[in-house]
Amino acid sequence: MDTENQKFYLTKHGLEELAKEYEDLKKIRMAKTKGEAPSIWESEDLNPDYISFKEDIELLEARLLELENVLKNSEIIKKPTGKKAEVIDLGATILVEVDGDKDEFILVDSYEANPILGKISHHSPVGKALIGHRVGDEVVISSPIRSIYKIKKIKYS
Amino acid sequence: MKNFVDFFHQVGKLKDLPRRGWVLIGAKDPASVSDHSFRMAVMAWILAEKKRKINLEKVIKMALVHDLCELYAGDITPYDYGHLPKNKEDWPDAFDKWPRFSKSKKIKNFLKKQKKEKESLVKITSKMPDGVKKEIMNLWQEYDRGLTKEANFVRQINRLETLLQAFEYGKESQSRPFNSWWIGSEEQIDDPALIKCMLEIAENFYCHEKKK
Repeated sequence: MDTENQKFYLTKHGLEELAKEYEDLKKIRMAKTKGEAPSIWESEDLNPDYISFKEDIELLEARLLELENVLKNSEIIKKPTGKKAEVIDLGATILVEVDGDKDEFILVDSYEANPILGKISHHSPVGKALIGHRVGDEVVISSPIRSIYKIKKIKYS
Repeated sequence: MKNFVDFFHQVGKLKDLPRRGWVLIGAKDPASVSDHSFRMAVMAWILAEKKRKINLEKVIKMALVHDLCELYAGDITPYDYGHLPKNKEDWPDAFDKWPRFSKSKKIKNFLKKQKKEKESLVKITSKMPDGVKKEIMNLWQEYDRGLTKEANFVRQINRLETLLQAFEYGKESQSRPFNSWWIGSEEQIDDPALIKCMLEIAENFYCHEKKK
């Protein structure tokens, strides 16, 4: 994940989240510069992670720089139409059955990947193997331990 | 200096905290959280050296502190969220599958774990000078949220070290390694160099053994 001079392909939701975080953090920086208590702390939809930025201006600046770079070089993943929407590609939310258990994940670019939350990178072995497949396909990954991903549903939002 | 010594003493307790995954599969002499963090730091250092534009010092520090929080929060595995059979004897078999959760459950589990770990880290670092306290907390938060390229890399190293240990246990006990770690890694690792390393681990500790 080399983030300089790199193009970031983001989901619409991912881009909106980053843009919101950027705006919120800018408000915090502005208030801190003026020595005020930012009104954002009273907001009900406050991300609890922002608390760390309240105390640490260096962390705040570093995150703002990172977000600026990403937002400047980002591109929303285009929603495919027609037949292309029936095939797994970047941005697809996929319902699968793996070894008998159901799971759901979204295929994203490296920057947005967070497998714990079901955001799988399209560069990961599983991501790469799923691309190009359709509902009903059984994707066998056997390198070296065999597992079968049965594609149950594909959707793009 | 007293506060530093207290902190080092607390960090040392991680040498006696076995990693829960190894306990659950019934490993005879389970590796500790310290064992894991130490080898992760070495792996992160060596494997990050080939990468351009990555802050190596940050990577190594992040690997060293990423699991400090487990001292009071414990080592929570995905299996602890309702994926363990009632009978302890059946626990190892659960590791043939990677545990699956709904989208909302994934978020719920993540936030629950994050809260517990943050509280633990605050407790561990409470008597340290502000600068150190902030650095440790920021490194952990970056790691936990995967905010930077360093965090993304160290999160994948975390998987890779765990995978290597799982295959080593498989080789030592002359049994197959449990599928779970491999499947999880195939979904979580996307760095080309780390994928290569992952395949090499499999070749050495699994395919090679099978060919014997």
